[in-house]
Amino acid sequence: MSLQTNWDARAALNFMCGGAGAGLMIASAVLGLPDASIALALALIACGLGAVWLELGKPLRALHVFFNPFTSWMARESFAAVLVFALGIGTFFMRELLPGAALAAALFLYCQARMLQGATGIPAWRTPGSVARLVSTGLAEGMGLALVFSASPLALSLFALAVIARAFANSEWFMTLAILALVALGAFVPYAAAVGGLVALAAGWHMKFTLVTRASHKQGFALPRLPVRGTR
Amino acid sequence: MTKWAIVADLRRCVGCQTCTAACKLANGTPPGVQWRRVLDLEAGEYPNVKRAFVPVGCMHCDDPPCMHVCPSTATRKRPDGIVTIDPDLCIGCAYCAVACPYDARFKVDGVATKCTFCVERIDAGLAKGQKPGVDPEATPVCVNSCIAGALHFGDAEDPGSNISQLLAEHRHFRLNEELGTGPNIHYLWDRLP
Amino acid sequence: MNPRVATYCYQCVAGPDLLTVEVSEKGGSRVACNIEPNFAAAEIHPAGGKVCVKAYGLVQKAYHPDRVLTPMKRTNPRKGHDEDPGFVPISWDEALGMVASKLNDIRARGLLDESGYPRVAASFGGGGTPQFYMGSFPAFLAAWGPIDMGFGSGQGVKCYHSEHLYGELWHRGFTVSPDTPLTNYLISCGANVEASGGVAGVKRHADARSRGMKRVQVEPHLSVTGACSAEWVPIKPKTDAAFLYALIHVMLHEEPRSKLDVEFLYRHTSSPYLVGSHGYYLRDPSHAQPIIAASLEAREEQLALEIGADGEVLGEGRLSGATAFSKLVEHMRPYTPEWAQAICDVPAGTIRRIAREYVDAACIGRTIEIEGKTLPYRPVAVSLGKTVTNGWGGYECCWARTLLAALVGALEVPGGILGTTVRLNRPMSERHKSVRAGPDGLMAYPFNPTGRETWSAQPNIRNAYRTMVPLAADGPWSQALGPTHFSWMFLDGTPPGLPRVTLPEVWILYRTNPAISFWDTAKLEERMARFPFVVAFAFTRDETNHYADVLLPDAGDLESLQLIRIGGSKYIEQFWDHEGFALRQPAIAPRGESRDFTDIATDLAGRTGLLDKYNAAINKGTLGVPLKDFALDASRPYGAAQIWDAVCKAASTELSGEAHGLDWWKEKGFATKPFPRTAWYLFPTLEQKGLRFEMPYQERLARIGAELKARLHEKDMHWWDKQLTEYQALPAWKDFPQEWIDHLVSAGGKEADYPFWLLTSRSMQYAWGGNVGMQLIKEVADNIAGHRGVIINTGRARSLGIAEDQWVDIATPQHNVRARAVLREGIRPDTLLLLGQFGHWATPVAKDFGMPSMNSLVPMSLALTDATGSGADLVRVSLRKAA
Repeated sequence: MSLQTNWDARAALNFMCGGAGAGLMIASAVLGLPDASIALALALIACGLGAVWLELGKPLRALHVFFNPFTSWMARESFAAVLVFALGIGTFFMRELLPGAALAAALFLYCQARMLQGATGIPAWRTPGSVARLVSTGLAEGMGLALVFSASPLALSLFALAVIARAFANSEWFMTLAILALVALGAFVPYAAAVGGLVALAAGWHMKFTLVTRASHKQGFALPRLPVRGTR
Repeated sequence: MTKWAIVADLRRCVGCQTCTAACKLANGTPPGVQWRRVLDLEAGEYPNVKRAFVPVGCMHCDDPPCMHVCPSTATRKRPDGIVTIDPDLCIGCAYCAVACPYDARFKVDGVATKCTFCVERIDAGLAKGQKPGVDPEATPVCVNSCIAGALHFGDAEDPGSNISQLLAEHRHFRLNEELGTGPNIHYLWDRLP
Repeated sequence: MNPRVATYCYQCVAGPDLLTVEVSEKGGSRVACNIEPNFAAAEIHPAGGKVCVKAYGLVQKAYHPDRVLTPMKRTNPRKGHDEDPGFVPISWDEALGMVASKLNDIRARGLLDESGYPRVAASFGGGGTPQFYMGSFPAFLAAWGPIDMGFGSGQGVKCYHSEHLYGELWHRGFTVSPDTPLTNYLISCGANVEASGGVAGVKRHADARSRGMKRVQVEPHLSVTGACSAEWVPIKPKTDAAFLYALIHVMLHEEPRSKLDVEFLYRHTSSPYLVGSHGYYLRDPSHAQPIIAASLEAREEQLALEIGADGEVLGEGRLSGATAFSKLVEHMRPYTPEWAQAICDVPAGTIRRIAREYVDAACIGRTIEIEGKTLPYRPVAVSLGKTVTNGWGGYECCWARTLLAALVGALEVPGGILGTTVRLNRPMSERHKSVRAGPDGLMAYPFNPTGRETWSAQPNIRNAYRTMVPLAADGPWSQALGPTHFSWMFLDGTPPGLPRVTLPEVWILYRTNPAISFWDTAKLEERMARFPFVVAFAFTRDETNHYADVLLPDAGDLESLQLIRIGGSKYIEQFWDHEGFALRQPAIAPRGESRDFTDIATDLAGRTGLLDKYNAAINKGTLGVPLKDFALDASRPYGAAQIWDAVCKAASTELSGEAHGLDWWKEKGFATKPFPRTAWYLFPTLEQKGLRFEMPYQERLARIGAELKARLHEKDMHWWDKQLTEYQALPAWKDFPQEWIDHLVSAGGKEADYPFWLLTSRSMQYAWGGNVGMQLIKEVADNIAGHRGVIINTGRARSLGIAEDQWVDIATPQHNVRARAVLREGIRPDTLLLLGQFGHWATPVAKDFGMPSMNSLVPMSLALTDATGSGADLVRVSLRKAA
């Protein structure tokens, strides 16, 4: 008998890899990165989905995930993923599809964020800030990875912006300053900015892993009133 | 319309776990899976302490978050309010388990499970002309088993039903009501003056 | 729909619960798959036919993977905790042959040994509940002759011992209950009715709460019952007598007499009896009856006799005396709430308020009509729990509780306290018939004699109840109500005056596990290992049958036949509006080679040449009803179905005049007739017979104590002197907790090093049940705090650096147990609580709980034994984080 009442590392990997992959797909489109970058983005998303597929109790029924796009952000995420892969793979043959792939990736990222926020049972997830947190983190991870492929001023600027946005969404200032310092150091030391990008990736993944697997305490039960036992 | 609901009288509940055991035995749930269970809660500090026993489980919410998040439509809500899971549709993503604010869902051997309000008893009983909550054969086993007379089952939409009368005569609340899910286990805590 | 088979569950004394077992056909045989209430009994059962949580474990119990399913014999002749018994399966023929050969050898040599003790001993656990599962075995025991049933497995230390003995003396209350259907104000000192009162207790108290009853729970920890009460008073352990005395003080010295039921006291109690200067009643010289004063509180001079112990005339002529009530008033004067506060750690104001609430709720003067009879209505009660009603202080608490009822006329009347069953007086089936006129206008009581000529210096069994405990009487239950630890203790050295305590040559065990459930379990095991031949009817291996020579698997709860009496008035809250019989019948076939207990008993009777006596015992009524027209032919063996068919016919004839056989009962499951509610109350019977309740003054006990002292001293027996001090006409408060501290010091400990009181409390999920090895029960019980470890006050634990779930060591100077810490606010900082009785090391499933028991820490000691022969579940311990 197997029993599960919460999500584990496999689900966390979907948010980690999927978020970073989606961010990188968007960065690839904005910065015009090479096919390798697009391939990496797709690979990351695939890894995430693969991991969460392993979490499914009935993996052979994976297609059932598409049955409820009307209310389930998980179903919507699945449709977005199909789009990302269709358009993303298409870009290898028709580069013009890249903006579309990026839009699909943005949609995918948003769906992921809403998915977490939709988990009503978990106070740390269900806050409105979850969407900004997941989206900005995904973007920062993707832009950070993009620095491996391009150290253009635009790339650096977008990365810095994403990191700052992420800082606001996560109230995480020390790490942000460290990353920005690495970006600035990039003007003098080769690869320092890229290291900064990878640090942002690591920080994002750490946060999401913690959020999904550790900060997943359920709501619990608070009694608004205690019963009156006999007379008062 | 019918809306099945449970009324739990916290003044009467003694935490004996008879309902927990009866549910486990009748539904054959595996070790560690308790569709119905009774919490043992303390409030206050010594020596001003109160202790209460609170039966919990699936609340068959009016607006069930588990149903909304379910990607496969395995979780559905019947017109009579009962939230069901189709085990043949469920993919076992456990999204419903993290979406439920009442810790009521268990993914067992790949699919989500939870309290069914003993729906098959209700349906079979209704087919025989019995009244759920009144006729034991048509009533959830936890309610049947309750030795303290704390658990009651009935139609919340019928103003003349057993539970509607209890709700009309007592002060009551629902758990985590602020989440807006419209849970259908009501807790009595005092009589109305 | 699967068929349902009606049966009963009597795994605890708060039964029976009437239930149905759902069975399905599988591979041609029936499989039990579900347990449900028997709603057909809804109208006649006090809890609407509902079934307690323990019964839901019966399906797992039937199919327990570790069940003993064939007879087995021991192959390792060495017995010890660490010795593997090496049990191997044998045939029934070989197993019963071994047992019969031992028994026949004993019959050939004589049933008593050189000390005069029975060579055969038997222990049954669970407060008498095994008899509801042992079929016709009682008839075998009756046919056998003397058997020592005094090897305790929990009696005394785990029961309401003082309540049993004094309760029967004062109001035929072997167990005492509030008249819960009518009580409005209940002071509950440690009585945990929600855990121990069964479904009837739970339902009735829930109804009472809904009605608005106020229950004040006085207990060191916030038990389930405390949780369900209007108020929790966290009292210091073992000081309940001081609390109750202060309530009485307030009622006698601070409240006007009009708040008491003066008429009840004067007319229906011994309060107006004049007491002379030596403490004995002043008696009319012409007929030696006590002189009744003209008013409740008086001092009178009368022409009188004062007769002391052994008939000694202590005074004659014009003698001055005060009424028993006046003596009481003086006696209680020092016990003020302020005095009690210092002892109990309960504020004086709280005590005063509770006393006033109690008298105000007593409705003095009001009456109620029940079944056309007008009776006094006094809806106030005091209930007492384990550890309050046994060991030192038990007498004082029981006396105070009964007095609290008497003061407001709430004794055996609607709304007050009721004795719900008798076990020492006869007939056991009917309390009212046991009310017979005794001396001095009081009820007769079958004291063991203490006179010069009549005292029994030769005990009939090893625990010497007949010699040492006059109150234990000498009926079928008395053996279990003596000092049942003496049988164990004295194996290592019998005190002067008693014949040397010997090992029984054959010890028979059923549904009992003293190696877990008694006190000082390690020592008990050492002694058990010396028993030469132990026959254990076994469900699974356990800590006691670890020492057995033969294991016999009887067919289980859902597999065998028996008809029992139900309803009427029985233990605790089991007083019904109906009475009759219920059948336990095989819902499924016996598993493995297990056999119906009745067939085992018949087989054994045949092998030991006792068949005719055995059948005669059955015919006489040993199975609950005399067979009369349906009597068995004494000379031939019958199968279980034939025996119970005859019992069924006799029972239904008694019930309705129509004889219905086993098949009828199998279909119906139970049958009853109305039991008058007026029969719940003893007061009208006493009134009708012109008898008085023996309250408040205990002249008889004082006399008996003096006589017993004389007898013992005549035989140079001084080791019971401390216990003899309990025999006081008006019991004074003694520093009861200090007894345990003194014992600690004598065992080499310093009080400051052992600052905690370790207590236990019943668990509804396990109480009496013998269901410890059921996974289902463990799982659901774990939802209630304390089933996974020792409960410690949160603040106190933090100050000791102990966190939730951390392992801690709990120790006495001799022993140590390890438990996980469970931090709760609802317990006194000086108290620790270990629920239930665990600490298993052999019982399957339970041995993996990691949950210790206080029984391994509680010392078995003469110093901690009170005059009734009981101890208490209490011990001083240290607590520290485990290394």
